[in-house]
Amino acid sequence: MMLREDLRDFVVGALALALMALVWLAGFLYAPVDANQGEVYRIIFLHVPSAFAAFASAFALLWFSVVGLRKRREQSLLWSRAICEVGLILTVLTLATGSIWGKPTWGTWWTWDARLTTTFMLALLFAGWLMLYSSMAPGPGRVRACAVLGILIAADVPVIYQSVNWWRTLHQPQSILRDGGSTMDPAILRTLLVGIVIQLVAGGVLAWIRGRNLALREEVERASFEQMRA
Amino acid sequence: MAAMAASAWKQYLLLVTQGLRAELADRERLVSPALFAATMLVLFSFALGEVDASLKARIYIAETFLTAFFALQLSFSRLFEPDRQDRVFDLLRTYPVSHTAWYLAKYTLVMIVGVAVLVPTLLFGAFLHHTDKAPVFSWVVCGIALLALAGLAALGVLLSALTLKANSRQVLYPLLYFPLTTPVLLAATQASLIYLEAGKTTQPLQAWLGLLTGFDVIYFTLGILLFTELVDDA
Repeated sequence: MMLREDLRDFVVGALALALMALVWLAGFLYAPVDANQGEVYRIIFLHVPSAFAAFASAFALLWFSVVGLRKRREQSLLWSRAICEVGLILTVLTLATGSIWGKPTWGTWWTWDARLTTTFMLALLFAGWLMLYSSMAPGPGRVRACAVLGILIAADVPVIYQSVNWWRTLHQPQSILRDGGSTMDPAILRTLLVGIVIQLVAGGVLAWIRGRNLALREEVERASFEQMRA
Repeated sequence: MAAMAASAWKQYLLLVTQGLRAELADRERLVSPALFAATMLVLFSFALGEVDASLKARIYIAETFLTAFFALQLSFSRLFEPDRQDRVFDLLRTYPVSHTAWYLAKYTLVMIVGVAVLVPTLLFGAFLHHTDKAPVFSWVVCGIALLALAGLAALGVLLSALTLKANSRQVLYPLLYFPLTTPVLLAATQASLIYLEAGKTTQPLQAWLGLLTGFDVIYFTLGILLFTELVDDA
């Protein structure tokens, strides 16, 4: 039997997925073909929103890390873990879609470009956070260590964002948030901005569902432990 | 207030002395990173063979910085090991020791060990690559490397404390250390390369040095603030 909360999660999740599908459709049907890149550029409607959502995950991790340090509660650690898992998926998705776009555009799947490298670092850091979490015994020590690492990870994000401006490499400079306005076609820009908002919401929904699952699992584990002790 | 500062200063000096004694008591801890660095430099030279004079500066910077980075990582990751073995770490957590003094003492220790590894690495690298046509050694590059060391050390102490109680710390330490130090390493290598290729101070060099100093300050500040959180016994 489906619980009320499960039904709510299912509906919200399905809605987020439907909205994402709608953006991809708009990317194919509404946005025009790019004069230089042709059809291949359309992958940006998945790539750019994923990148923004991955960066947002790092900032959400920062928030829960600060809360974790102040309140010293395991609960914030569970949310941090959920955010880290979603952040890792989104970062890998960003790298994968970037790579798929890079092959026809740059002629290579991978290059040691500044933004590619720093985004890869972010994926490593999310993975490192999850490794640290699983390699420490539960308790206040783990809450503190993971919170400290969460803050350090967030400090890395401005570097990734600015990397294309600091290092003149293959990856094009910022084309959405730049001085003098965007260089994109208005239809492409509109679709992309809506896509970013929806991806942020979808990422939030995923983290919310995962966080609730983790909290539930912990509750079950605690209950079964107490039952065994009794 | 003045009494507290004096007490913190005294604690800092005592902790530095204790740390140095622990390092010197086990010479292997001090010598092994330097030997590791020498081995890596020789291996790099074997692998690359004779390189074109125009590439010498680039190769020198890549080789020496990478070698120093790995050697330092080896040394930083073991920073709290003597404290842990003698239960000094847990005792210090319960004593009314200033956490800032504790962090600064470890930071100083790491800087001393770091200089002992970094300077010979740069000199030995120059010995292997320096030619009259393509001079690679420069005291400015040494200065940039020391500036990088300041940032690496700040992060090294913090990560060493962070992974102290982790089960898989030997895997975890490099996994976290490498991506977090990327901004410092990139800024240091770029600045050094620009200086070696131009031979003088240029505007891009100043920009990279600004970024390097900025990250040193960020990591040092975060180090002091977050170390307290990590060792807090509450």
